[in-house]
Amino acid sequence: MDSNQKQITKNVTSPDDVKVTQNNNSSSNHPGVEVRLQNITKRFVDKKGNVTVAVDDFSVVIPAGKLIGLLGPSGCGKSTTLYLIAGLHKPNAGRIYFGNEDVTDLPPEKRGIGIVFQNYALFPHLTVRQNIMFPLENMKVPKKEALQRAQEMAELVHIGDLMDRKPSQLSGGQQQRVAIARALVKKPKVLLLDEPLSNLDARLRLQTREEIRRIQRETGITTIFVTHDQEEAMSISDEIIVMDRGVKQQLDHPQKVYDEPVNLFVAKFLGNPPINVIEGYVENKQLKTVTGKVIQNLDVEDQEVQIGLRAEFFMISKNGGIDAEVEIVEHIGRDTMIICRIDGYEKTIRAIVPSDINLQIGQQVKLGYNKIFVFDKTGARLL
Amino acid sequence: MLEFKRDHWKGYMYLLPALVFMAIFTFYPIIKTFITAFLEGYSIYGDSRFKLGLGNFIYVFKDKLFWRALGNTALMVIVSVPVSVIIALLISVALNSIKKLQGFFQTVFFLPYVTNTIALGLVFSVLFSNNGLINAIIEWFGGTPRAWITNWQGQGAVPGYDTVTYWRGIFVISMYTIWNSLAFKILVFLSGLQSIDKQYYQAAQIDATPRWRVFTKITVPLLSPMIAYVTITSFIGAFKAYTSVIAIYGETFGPPGQETENMYITIVGYIYQKLHHSRGADLFSVAAAASLILFGIILLITLVQLQVSKKRVHY
Repeated sequence: MDSNQKQITKNVTSPDDVKVTQNNNSSSNHPGVEVRLQNITKRFVDKKGNVTVAVDDFSVVIPAGKLIGLLGPSGCGKSTTLYLIAGLHKPNAGRIYFGNEDVTDLPPEKRGIGIVFQNYALFPHLTVRQNIMFPLENMKVPKKEALQRAQEMAELVHIGDLMDRKPSQLSGGQQQRVAIARALVKKPKVLLLDEPLSNLDARLRLQTREEIRRIQRETGITTIFVTHDQEEAMSISDEIIVMDRGVKQQLDHPQKVYDEPVNLFVAKFLGNPPINVIEGYVENKQLKTVTGKVIQNLDVEDQEVQIGLRAEFFMISKNGGIDAEVEIVEHIGRDTMIICRIDGYEKTIRAIVPSDINLQIGQQVKLGYNKIFVFDKTGARLL
Repeated sequence: MLEFKRDHWKGYMYLLPALVFMAIFTFYPIIKTFITAFLEGYSIYGDSRFKLGLGNFIYVFKDKLFWRALGNTALMVIVSVPVSVIIALLISVALNSIKKLQGFFQTVFFLPYVTNTIALGLVFSVLFSNNGLINAIIEWFGGTPRAWITNWQGQGAVPGYDTVTYWRGIFVISMYTIWNSLAFKILVFLSGLQSIDKQYYQAAQIDATPRWRVFTKITVPLLSPMIAYVTITSFIGAFKAYTSVIAIYGETFGPPGQETENMYITIVGYIYQKLHHSRGADLFSVAAAASLILFGIILLITLVQLQVSKKRVHY
């Protein structure tokens, strides 16, 4: 029964694609808008009078028509930032602009935004069609037009054949598409997604994030999505904003943020396996390990530093490099991950090496590297 | 497996005290009532000259007082249940939307629930007495004060005397019933409202949903299980109406005077009278028959409501 249902779904989606391309042409008449946050601060005061600064003097320009990932650990203020843009929270200080329009004092319903909540907030008592039409009915769009627009949106997100179902009869991924269709049907200037993939299983997540990318491309709406999953943010965003403790850390293209993190937090937050960080110091313009081994020249004042080495920066070399002893060898398909201990350090480090190199546990190797990051005591990038 | 069996046994043991009391005070009386209703010439004194038959039911259906009781009860149900459910719903939504003093108002609206119903009835009979607050307010607004509960002769009455009418009494009783039943309904609705995910309202706000539409399209459907529960239980409660009339009029079930006696008698009031004034031995079984008829009516209406709510309620 269930497999039959799926079969039907597959058959129906193919003619839908044709309609989507038609839709693509019409979408160009509502391109996205630039979103600008200027020195936004949001404080929460709880019943006991404790003040939490959720967003701290946050300034950012989100270019029009882009897909932006707002990335950070939980509690970093990313969802608050999204709600501030939506108008569901009011900032304590700062201004928010959509294009040239100052929307700071506008209530959410006047900002022209669409939002997809983490749990989708689909009305359980309404069918998919009624859910998608809900915003249009508020705008007093004539019923015939509303029905047509709802159908168009449903087909854009590939749920055109599920219109008469209730949300409880849909899978998580389908519910999410309904939520996106409902957010998009009123042609918002900005689309906001709050942890849109967190309720989906791993396989569906992969599929859905590509779906979001496609829908965003086709509609051209400025889209901001919040996530704590770096891979998710990296894979589909035009640009990502990394946040920590209410402060913007970095805004750039995903690869750029990964390759050139501005500080230790960003370096640590991005990357899987996580970056290796070891202590070191600078003496006479030379960067040294704790054992005093010179790594390379570094033109900064004498100080203690943190050295960041991504696992893929390493290579096994015959001459030069750091002495290390292999402790664990993990074969991960294409590559091999080794966990090894380097001279003078308690902590082990992870390195990814080509799988054709045969390594034994306990073997002494020399680890070369093609790149390193150096951070000062405060975490700011030196190199 | 053995462990399982022992657990079962233990479970029944824990239930036993409750079951014993239920058997004595609930199940036995139900069965006894059922049997008694079909016994003609029954006497509680153990007189065994009785036979099976429908005589008691025929007695009830031929009794004009029963039809009056049924009419009164139905009227009270039809007036008080919908009105109180709607008022309770509006008050809970209002309560839920305020932040300051919410706790205070919650307490205020819950107070009637912990107040003695007879005391409340006395308050109402004072409020609606001839020289009571309601008449004072009517007069203050330039209206004519009326006899609400008792006939009025002498000072203040216009034009010198005023007699109670049926509908005024129904109004007072309905007011009392509504007021008395609000507290519990508000309590249920408030807890229901507080369990609705706030994101539904945020989603509605972002889509610029007008307030009335939020209420009818989101709040009411999401609260519909609670509304169904409250409606069904208050229908059942209202059909068992009895204390409301007693509290205001006393055991005469109507304004003082022979003509107005039993003016507002209810079905339970009828049953009560048949038990109380059972001068003849047969009236006891008449009361049992009337109880069964009441049970039948409530059962029927509840079944209809369940059928309706299957279509209307979104669980």
